[in-house]
Amino acid sequence: MPVIEVKELTKVFKIPKKEPGLGGAVKGLFRPQYENKLAVNGINFKLEPGEIVGYIGVNGAGKSTTIKMLTGVLMPTSGTIKVLGRDPHRQRVENARDIGVVFGQRTQLWWDLALIESLNLIAKIYDVHPVKYRLMLDKFTETLELDELLKTPVRNMSLGQKMRSELAAALIHEPQVVYLDEPTIGLDLIVKERIRDFIKAECISKGMTVILTTHDLGDIEELCQRVIIIDDGRIIYDGPIETIKKQFGKFREITFETVEDVKGLDLPKGSELLSTEDHKVQIRFDRTVSSASRVAGMVMKQIEVRDFSLSEPELSDIVKQIYNGALEREV
Amino acid sequence: MIQTARRNLSIYGSIFAMIPKVFMAYQLWFWIGLVLNVISMAILVYFWRAIYNETSTISGLGLGQTLTYILLAFIFMPLTSNDLIWEFGSNLREGTIIHHLLRPINFQGMNYAQMLGGLVTRLILQVPMAVIAVLLFGLRFPTDLVTWLAFMVSALLGFTVMFFFNWLLACLTFYTTEIWGLGVLIDGMTFFLSGALVPLVMMPEWVRTIVLSIPFAQALAVPVGLLTGITPLTDAPRVWLIQLLWILGLWVASTLFFRVAVRKITVQGG
Repeated sequence: MPVIEVKELTKVFKIPKKEPGLGGAVKGLFRPQYENKLAVNGINFKLEPGEIVGYIGVNGAGKSTTIKMLTGVLMPTSGTIKVLGRDPHRQRVENARDIGVVFGQRTQLWWDLALIESLNLIAKIYDVHPVKYRLMLDKFTETLELDELLKTPVRNMSLGQKMRSELAAALIHEPQVVYLDEPTIGLDLIVKERIRDFIKAECISKGMTVILTTHDLGDIEELCQRVIIIDDGRIIYDGPIETIKKQFGKFREITFETVEDVKGLDLPKGSELLSTEDHKVQIRFDRTVSSASRVAGMVMKQIEVRDFSLSEPELSDIVKQIYNGALEREV
Repeated sequence: MIQTARRNLSIYGSIFAMIPKVFMAYQLWFWIGLVLNVISMAILVYFWRAIYNETSTISGLGLGQTLTYILLAFIFMPLTSNDLIWEFGSNLREGTIIHHLLRPINFQGMNYAQMLGGLVTRLILQVPMAVIAVLLFGLRFPTDLVTWLAFMVSALLGFTVMFFFNWLLACLTFYTTEIWGLGVLIDGMTFFLSGALVPLVMMPEWVRTIVLSIPFAQALAVPVGLLTGITPLTDAPRVWLIQLLWILGLWVASTLFFRVAVRKITVQGG
């Protein structure tokens, strides 16, 4: 039986329409005009126990709205959600006992309290057995390196410290279902790595069902086998990450900074010139056909290069390409 | 059943116990507040002494009785504190309300435990003020145990009245994104309407009628009235009953209003 089952889920926000100027503001006071914004548009998916799914999309695509509906704090406009057999909105309190949530942009810890006080209180609220709590706390302290943080109030923490604390707070009661909404946002590589390791150790190995939203493809690649891509409120891709990696991991882009303006270039097979402007040349190549050294070598033979950089495809590009039907066309 | 009750009690107990620690995070404020309070108290005392220069009784109260009332009302002012509005306001502004709604416990119960923790902490922090009132302004506390008991029951009931009333007002912050204005307005109204400045019996009939038909006075003037003996002890059961009725009515109203107001979050997404 699936742990999460979403059917035709739709959310429409009613947004007050403001007309410009003072006249518009006054008019809005007496006869407010509303605009309907379709944030999530009839999505369907199922998650089996122990699955960890990357839920991705550009800003404003409807990711957070979906997560909020799954947790039960946001009421769907239509459609149904079942989490562990419950309707999370109607049975919010019962549902809350079995889920863990991290919203990367807001904190669930008590601002003025030392972390350990917050954790003690949360363990109490979720009815974690004291012995079990001790064990969990010791383990979390080790894997998240919370030692020095336990006595620190949240308001004095750095972003990375705060996020480690948030994760501990969200998972201390070993929930069956975990929602991680951008848990690595704004963090440096080392902290990201530690958080990914922690998610692997605490969620994946314990068979929790996880939905992870992120803008970082690295998170997805390391943690998820399956991705759901949402754009403009609709699911535009739901399937194994392998397919996407094969498709879009194939291409890389090299940007050369040149001394002089460039008109035309001879390029090896499997590469194409994307643009030339202002001493900048952008080239895309297929890794299965060519290589970075071959492209760079050939370019450098022809022109004087001041600098060059290699970039992986951006998430937004991938989403855009999938939206334009790239995946169906080429798979 | 009993086990659930015991567990809930222990959860709310922990929330209650957390508050003093939050207060202690701002030690400097405690000292600044203490100095400001001593000054305000002195102003009140000299104000009333000046008034009593002309006459020996006002509305049947002598200077001694009035000063006792004013000083006690000052000390027990935390009974009227309206942290809820600020709490809701900052929760809404920072979006943390979502996390509170995602806790597997009753949201109102959690807040009541928090506010009760705040009350007890504040009352303890008022002890230096009480000492100063005794030493500097000659306050004498009642020594009768029954009086104290009657007061304590009435104080807890009155605090609860204000909790539910403030809950109603705090729900307004779901609609007005403005919190500061509302908070300051309520603070000012509370100060006057709770009877902290003037004993209720001195107010003109029509003002007193208004004050007694809104809840503020239930939290301060009513219990302090019992403590000072302005309201005779024999009236205590009647006072409690009225407070209970207030609680019942406001509890129903605040719960209903919250159910509607929270839709701002659960429907509109905050």
